Amino acid sequence: MNMSFSTSDSPSTDDAVEPDECPSPDIGGKIEAENKECVLVEAINMALHYEMARDDSVVVLGEDVATNGGVFRATLDLKQTFGAARVLDTPLAEGLIGGISIGMATQGLKPVTEIQFMGFMFAALEQLMCHAARMRNRTRGRLSCPMVVRMPFGGGIHAPEHHSESTEALLAHTPGLRVVIPSSPIRAYGLLLAAIRDPDPVIFLEPKRIYRAQAQRVYNDGQALPLDTCFTLREGKDITLVSWGALISECTQVADQMLEQGIAVELIDVATVSPLDMATILESVAKTGRCVIAHEAPKTGGIGGEIAAQLAEHALLDLKAPVLRVAGYDTVMPYAKKEALYLPSTAQISSAIQQVLNFA
Amino acid sequence: MKFFKLPDLGEGLQEAEIIEWNVAAGDTVNIDQLLVTVETAKAVVEIPAPQAGVIAATFGQPGDIVHLGEALVEFISDEADNATVVGELETTKAPQQTDEHFFIGSPKASGQRQAIRATPAIRALAERLNVDITKVSGSGQQGLIKAEDVERVARLKSEKGPSTPLKGVRRFMSLTMSQSHSEVVAVTINDDAQLGNWGKKDDATIRLLRAMVAACEAEPLLNSWFDAEAMAYHSPTTIDVGMAVDTPGGLFVPVLRDIAKRSDKDLRSGLNRLKADALERRIPIDEMQKPTISLSNFGTIAGRYANPVIVPPMVAILAAGVIRDEVCAVSGKAKVLPVMPLSLSFDHRLITGGEAARFMAALKDSLEA
Repeated sequence: MNMSFSTSDSPSTDDAVEPDECPSPDIGGKIEAENKECVLVEAINMALHYEMARDDSVVVLGEDVATNGGVFRATLDLKQTFGAARVLDTPLAEGLIGGISIGMATQGLKPVTEIQFMGFMFAALEQLMCHAARMRNRTRGRLSCPMVVRMPFGGGIHAPEHHSESTEALLAHTPGLRVVIPSSPIRAYGLLLAAIRDPDPVIFLEPKRIYRAQAQRVYNDGQALPLDTCFTLREGKDITLVSWGALISECTQVADQMLEQGIAVELIDVATVSPLDMATILESVAKTGRCVIAHEAPKTGGIGGEIAAQLAEHALLDLKAPVLRVAGYDTVMPYAKKEALYLPSTAQISSAIQQVLNFA
Repeated sequence: MKFFKLPDLGEGLQEAEIIEWNVAAGDTVNIDQLLVTVETAKAVVEIPAPQAGVIAATFGQPGDIVHLGEALVEFISDEADNATVVGELETTKAPQQTDEHFFIGSPKASGQRQAIRATPAIRALAERLNVDITKVSGSGQQGLIKAEDVERVARLKSEKGPSTPLKGVRRFMSLTMSQSHSEVVAVTINDDAQLGNWGKKDDATIRLLRAMVAACEAEPLLNSWFDAEAMAYHSPTTIDVGMAVDTPGGLFVPVLRDIAKRSDKDLRSGLNRLKADALERRIPIDEMQKPTISLSNFGTIAGRYANPVIVPPMVAILAAGVIRDEVCAVSGKAKVLPVMPLSLSFDHRLITGGEAARFMAALKDSLEA
């Protein structure tokens, strides 16, 4: 897909959604502003408001999502606006949350479920991997599972154990689950809308470190961004830098620093980590001949390894240097004090880029 | 502060009973103003407000037990509500960027690829054999460089020493000659022109050009462009002669335009300028393009006959060798005359032998006059 997207223009209307899925212009007075300066978590809240107003079958459930508005305030005011029948506080039982969501989804609702932290998903994995992911296949297409499971993930907020991991590869390894990770308020808004409108289960991983780190003007126009495609954030000819989630902010800084030194980095936000849009990455690497992949998750078995393997399969003749990965360590995610040592830094990313550029 | 929680009241006490609320929701309080009176196992304690503000809510009724760390009152606050039960979120002070530009997928289908198609092992082989891989042409799919390609270059290099790549006009000549060789069906005829009538002032090149004008009038088809693909030819309205100019840098072929309409003097000065420009390699590009017929006068150097090569889409080229004195039969008697050897190549795909011979005859008539 070759399409330019600019926030300074009105976003184009012909990309993400099918005509029959185009948002209805009649959304009453429920959407307060045409566009709004907002941070990532507010963009998610805005998208939820938009889609609940547009589509009566959308329901929201999870721990503390209704009365409390979610521990990160992602579901703020949904219950007040759409009522307790559509915005449900659940017991502290992720297995049940997963099961209820599948039941709802197969029977005509579009649940947007919150798992409070990704580290709490394990009790729900049996439901997600063994049922949601294969419902369409199991029923030979009779039932689909149009559900979104939102989970805040990743480190950097000084949280205790089980609150900071990036286990997206576990989910990406399950065929039938689409795994989407936004990296800016604009993409959070557009991708969440696309995820809700998708007819199959989408795991929507929210990089909580940047929930409130960056504000952007987001147009509340109901325009979805496409799933299953990368986004090229910086155009460059010298090296391809591939990343996703919160680390995009470090990668952007590195790309800007490099440009000052005359090195043009092409920065790609993978956004949908499963299924991977390798076409965009391959096209970029064919041009640059060099690639660094940065992710927060442990290196071994991470999605960076899958991308590197595909580059080895399809881009061998384009590569001028080995593909390097900058990743978290293969350790248990440390507590707050040592967290900064674990997370990939701008220095590590820069150094990997230099290494690849200097290879030959 | 948004929530004020039951503070540590000392002596390891973990809970307290609310005795009396001294404020209610909506009250404005000052710092240290009494909020609530509680009773612990040891004493009755008055808890003051930690900050000034407006009370949004109070939690618990008299008689309720509150535990250490539980909320007592909520203040209405301007503070952003980040919530979070655990951890701290970094919050933007000011928007870092309000506009963002990105591409969905690739910026554009550049179709760009790396110029050299070789696996790392082949690159390593080239390095080991001291072969510049950029100079190796690949024989594999889509120009893939194979081991044997590298080895071939290495062998050539060891047998013949390092090579000098062709550049600029020599490279162009090489490509043009190959193209001609693969396309044109050339036939060459040779003859001599007897120059007994020439005076000292006759300029060989100018006379040759004049003769070409006469010959082109006799057989205009030799001054044309042949389009083999379309099986058609074009007839130019002028005679524009590509003049082969030998320089230390290689062969240049600047074009002398419309020779039929120009005076001898004009032609000579044009010729001198072309030669000077060629030597200095500053011929304007449009003066190198689209000749309709060619002349190679190597007679200024050495040599008698040649088989000059036609550059498509032209169909004829004339070459002249060194003018020599020769014994000629004139009216049945031997006579020593200056003689110019002529070689005319023509493309037999368009031109017949008869046309070429008549062209040669007209040429000779003009030169011998």
